[in-house]
Formats: sequence, structure tokens, C-alpha cells
Amino acid sequence: MSLNATVRQPALPIEPARAPQRRLQPVTRPAARRKPKLAYALIALGGALAIGAAQIALSLAITQDSFALAALSSQQNELNLRTHALQEELTGLSSPQVLASGAAGLGMVVAGSPSYLRLSDGAVFGTGTGADWNSTVDPQGSGAVGNVLVTSPPVDAPVTEDSTTDQTTQELPPSITDGLPSPTTH
Amino acid sequence: MTTRATRGPRRRTVVALAVILTVLATFVVRLVDIQVVSADEHVADSLTHLGAGSTIPGQRGSIVDAGGTVLASSVMVYDAQLSPQVIMLLEDKDPDLPWAEASEKIAAVTGQTGDEVRTIVADALALDSESQYAPLKKSLTTEQYIQLRDLKLKYLHFEARETRVYPNGAVAGNILGFLDNTGTAQAGIEEMEESCLAPVDGEESYRTGKDGIVIPGSERLVEAVNGGTVQLTINSDLNWYLQQMIAEEAQAQGAKGGTVTVVEVKTGKIRAAAEWPAMDPNDLDSSTPETRYSQIFHKDFEPGSTFKAITAAAAIEGAGLTPWSTASASSRETFPNGAVINDSFTHPEFNYTLAGALIDSSNVALSKFGTTVSPEVRYDYLQRFGVGEKTLGFPSEVAGLLHPVSEWDNQSLYTTTFGQYFSVTSPQLAGAYQAIANGGEKIDLSLIESCTGADGTVVTPDAPAHEQVVTEQTAAQLTRMLENVAVQGGNADRIQVPGYRVTSKTGTAQVSDGNGGYKEGVYYTSMVGFAPVDDPQYVVVVTLDEPTKVVSSAATASAFQKAMTQVMKTYRVMPSTVPMDELLPKFG
Repeated sequence: MSLNATVRQPALPIEPARAPQRRLQPVTRPAARRKPKLAYALIALGGALAIGAAQIALSLAITQDSFALAALSSQQNELNLRTHALQEELTGLSSPQVLASGAAGLGMVVAGSPSYLRLSDGAVFGTGTGADWNSTVDPQGSGAVGNVLVTSPPVDAPVTEDSTTDQTTQELPPSITDGLPSPTTH
Repeated sequence: MTTRATRGPRRRTVVALAVILTVLATFVVRLVDIQVVSADEHVADSLTHLGAGSTIPGQRGSIVDAGGTVLASSVMVYDAQLSPQVIMLLEDKDPDLPWAEASEKIAAVTGQTGDEVRTIVADALALDSESQYAPLKKSLTTEQYIQLRDLKLKYLHFEARETRVYPNGAVAGNILGFLDNTGTAQAGIEEMEESCLAPVDGEESYRTGKDGIVIPGSERLVEAVNGGTVQLTINSDLNWYLQQMIAEEAQAQGAKGGTVTVVEVKTGKIRAAAEWPAMDPNDLDSSTPETRYSQIFHKDFEPGSTFKAITAAAAIEGAGLTPWSTASASSRETFPNGAVINDSFTHPEFNYTLAGALIDSSNVALSKFGTTVSPEVRYDYLQRFGVGEKTLGFPSEVAGLLHPVSEWDNQSLYTTTFGQYFSVTSPQLAGAYQAIANGGEKIDLSLIESCTGADGTVVTPDAPAHEQVVTEQTAAQLTRMLENVAVQGGNADRIQVPGYRVTSKTGTAQVSDGNGGYKEGVYYTSMVGFAPVDDPQYVVVVTLDEPTKVVSSAATASAFQKAMTQVMKTYRVMPSTVPMDELLPKFG
């Protein structure tokens, strides 16, 4: 240090306010803890539980649909099975063989050429004769076209019995005497 | 600045870092190698151990007729099997439903007896006391499957299987064809339209972990594509009637078989293809090798007199003849080149007109008319009318036989004028007359209306080829002559269809006996015609194979009349209003 340094030193204040004597002491025990606030703990725990619950609820909601879907598709499969079973019963019943032998059993015939009536002028085309009672084919005869799917015998209703029972059991519509008003036309 | 104090530790740090970097670099290189360079190999390798899956079978398409009636469809049937070992294990534990009772319930559903069911299990156990498989019954219907399944028996298992059902039985059975037991189409439309009917199988694949547990998110599903629906031009109700009718007629005439083919004149569509004996594709066990194929497409025959009309067409156009041109003919004549030609009936020498030659079906007269044009011209006309060429490409269809002119010898130079020395099938005969009926324009025959895919797209086949084979005037003259055959010929009373003007021509062909000669006294008879003459709509070909009650082609007369009547009725064809032109003279 040179002489200049000492000269340049500013004058020290006389009697500065003294800071309180600090005594350094070793730490003997930890500082007293502050009492924890209950609210904070409850909020933290509640939040965690809420998150967990929300997750469970969301995943339940998501998977609920797949359960419903599974139930519905198994119901659909079941209904499809029943539909197929019912359709199989009908196979063969709509074949022309069944219709023809049923018709033949009722006494119907496959006749020849029909006549045609033109409505615009009432002209009749064709032979103009009626059908005779000879069928050109015999669906129940030797030439019957086979169908192994037709297991039950064809409907064979005797003609006379049916017509009489029909007349006795049939309910006739009520007769209109003077009930309903109707317009008179000329 | 680095001092000696700092240099030592710094060097160690650098060295350590360098070592770490080297190791890291090695790892990076290895990673790149695995992940980028040989990635595909490794993926494929992994799939062999991790991948698993099953095919999802698609359903075969159905076949419907022109009106939408289902003629063939696929259904599921179920094969049931029992597990005898499980039955025995459950018996030991005294179940609620003992085997004796359960077997009775099972038998009630399957239609077997309880004893049969118990025998099946007992036999399986006798062979192998730990047997787990005893087949119970095959081809159970869905109703039976539901009932058995509701019994909730742990030892009853089912396997579903697709099978083909033909709801209308034998109607158009020979045309539809059938599948063999592996599901491969063997004949008919099933084979012809395989590309439309066949399904595309889907696939379900997933990756499994070590224990076989499916890795979630690795499932891949490729949906199966069902086969498409084929719509035919056939009218199944008309086909039923014609099959019924020809079966009765063939049996009444003592014939071996019979066919009826109906072709729509304006479009060339085959509206009916009926034959007897017929095949019910549901019942293959009772079919014979002959019934498994369609006689209509598979059998060719020498047409005989029906092709006299084509010879007449060649003579009219090639040599300028008319229905009034004459040639004299006796019932047996020897021609300059040594050929001997007979008529089917004895008669004195007549001066036949061309019309008369067709009406009386005189072979000698046609030989004279036919040779007014050269054989090459007649060969050309035969080809134009479809002889020797397949009509549709139907499975096992034969093309018939047309010998080239160089192979025509002295006899066949004349016999080819009246339908011998070449062979045709019924559809070819129908197609030839379709050309005459359609004003000379021949339209290729067709059997398929459309193919509708599973997604609804409709594919129609290419439009059939149209070809003007004779002029309209020639066709009109031929039609007039053929109507005279129907009105003045020998079968006139039997083939009259009330209310309609029809044309017809008979044909009687000799049948080969297999040794190069012909059978005596039996013929393959046919009759072809179209109606109504004022506006032809339908061509009908009726054939009878070797009728015995009436051996000539008159045997087909009543079948033809019934067929034509029914066709007119089915399609509500307007009865003929224009009266026939005056009758053509038979002799000139």
C-alpha cells in the first residue's frame, strides 16, 4: 500500500450507531414446525380422489356402450337364426309344384287359349269359347316335376264339402235398409 | 489456462467420454440395422410366432329367374357331434339331466331313436374309452339346431356349414347345375356364372402374446364379400308347365326323353328350357349321369326336315327361286352322280312347288331345289344360321358338327339339303328359326339377364350380336311357306292353336347305333315353329327321343300344340287379327 492510498481514505464517521452484538451459537434443536392447515390437505386428497373417480366413471361410460353393443348383436344373431328357421319351413311351399297340385286337388284345370277383351271398344279376340274341363297337364300324375323339399302332401280339399260348410259358417254382411244416406244420381 | 494440475483429470474425462461415445455409436449402428435395414425380415419372423387368425367365409350368391323367383340359394346347416368322454364324466357326477333322459330329448329333435343315440356314444367309447368325438347327425336344419342348443348340454357341439338349396326342385334343374360336396360347381349355371356367384372370403387376424392372449389393438378385420345374384332369362312357371307337359307326352309316346326350348324372337332370350328326365339338384343321389347334364345343350342330332327351310332360303337368295318355282319329284330317284334319295312316303311323280316340297316334306324335291345353288353357298347359309357354332358357351354344350364342303361325297351333296350329314342342338335349331321369324335378323341366344353384386352394382352381359342372315323379303317368303306347312301339312289338325296363326316344321332324324350305322325304326323327332305369324314373338322347339307309340315326328304334334298354347297364354300375346294370305299351291 502506498502513501497515496492512506491520504485518499475518507474520514471515518466517529461513533457510528453500533449494530447489536451478534452472538453465533451452534444449533441444538430444530426450529419449531408450524401447525399444518387441514384445508390444504383435504383439498389435495379430495382432488386426487376426484381424479380417480372421474377416470373410473369415464371408463365405465366408454365401456357401457360396448356392453350394450354386445347384447344387441347377440340379440340380432338370435333373431337371424329364428328368421332362417322360419324361412326354411317355407322353402318348397312356394314352388309351382305345390301350387299346381293344390289347385288340381281343388278341381282346377290348366285350360287352352283364353280370349281377350279390349276395354277401349269392347272387341273380343281369340276363339271366344269357354274352357273345357280337360286339363292339359296333370300335376298329380306320372309326369309330376319332382321337388324333394315338398315333404307334406299337397292340400287336397274335397270340393262339395267345402262349399256347403262355407255357406253355413260364413257371416253375411249386415243389410242396409234405410240407415246410410246416399246421394241419388241420375 | 490449463495448468499441470488440471491436465490430468481433463484427459481422463476426454478418454471416458470417448469410450462412452464409441459404445453409443455401436448401439446406434445396431439399432439402425435392426429397425431400418432388415426391418421386413424381422417383422415377418415375428408374425410367424405372434400372428394368428381365421378366415371368415362369404356366402355364395343366389340364382333367380326372370321374375325374381329364387331358384337356388345358400343356407346354413349344422353338423352335431357329441363328446362321449364328457358325457361319462358328467354321469359320474350325477347330473340333473341324466344321459338316458338327455339322449331321448336329443333323439326327439333329430328324428333318431334314443337307442340310436346311445349306441353312437357306446360305439365310440368301445373303440376308444377316452373318445371325445362321436358324430351325431349331419345337416340339421336351423330349427333343430335352435332346439338342441336350448337343451344346454355341455357335450353337444355344432359346426355350421353352408349348403345349397333349390326351392323349386326339379324346375330348370338341369339348367341350374349343382355343387359337389366340396362346394365346387359341377354343371349348369352354377358353373357358368361361378365368377358372379363365388364369394370372397374375409380374414380376421390378430397378434397373440406368449400365452396366447390377444394383444389389444392388433385385431385386423377384412370383411367377407358375399357372392352376387344371377338373374336368368328363364320364366320358372312356364318352365314348370313345359317340364310337366313334356314328361307326360314323352311317357305317353313311349319315348326315352323329350325337350322343349322357347326363345323370344325379338331378343334371342331363352324363356324356357324344359326336359325330361329332369334332375332335382336337391336330390343328387337319385340323378343319373345322363340327367346331370342338360340334354338341350349336350345332345346334338341330325335335324332332318327342319333344315329344309334353310335350304329353301339359300335357293331363294342364291338362285332366285320363289315359293311357286317347280321341280318334279317321284318318291325314289337316282341322281346323276349315283346318289339315291327316298321320300318318307310313296307317291307318284309330282310337280312340286317349293312350298309343296316343304308341305309334303319331300326329300327328292328339296334335293333338286337345293342343288340349284352350289354346295359352297349352301354351306355358307348353314353356317350363317348357326350350324357348327356353340350358342352360349353353356357348360358341356356341344357345337354340333358341320363337315366342310370338301368332305361332302355324292350322297351327302343331296342329303345336306334335307338336314342330314350335319348335326345341331335344340338351341341352334331355335336360333335358326328365330332368324327367320325376326325378319332375317339373327340374334345370339342368351340365358343370363344380369349379375347383381353384393353391394348392389348390376352388371349386364354384353349385348348379343345381331346379324342379318337373309333379307326381310326372303324371311317373309319362308314364313309364308312355313305357315302353309302348318295349315296344309299332315299335322295341321293336331297343332292348331285356337286364335293364333302358327308356323311349324317337323324333323325326323335317324339315330346312330354307335357302330357307324343307324337304328332301325326309331327316330329322334322334332318340331319347330313360331307364332303369331303376323308379328312373331316366340319360337318353340319340341323334341322327342325315340318315341315308340308313333315313331314319326307326328308324335311331337300334341306336345307342340300344348307348348305353343301355353307360351302364348303366359305372355298374353295378342291373338292374330290379320287373316292368312291365300294358300300356296303344292303343285305347279
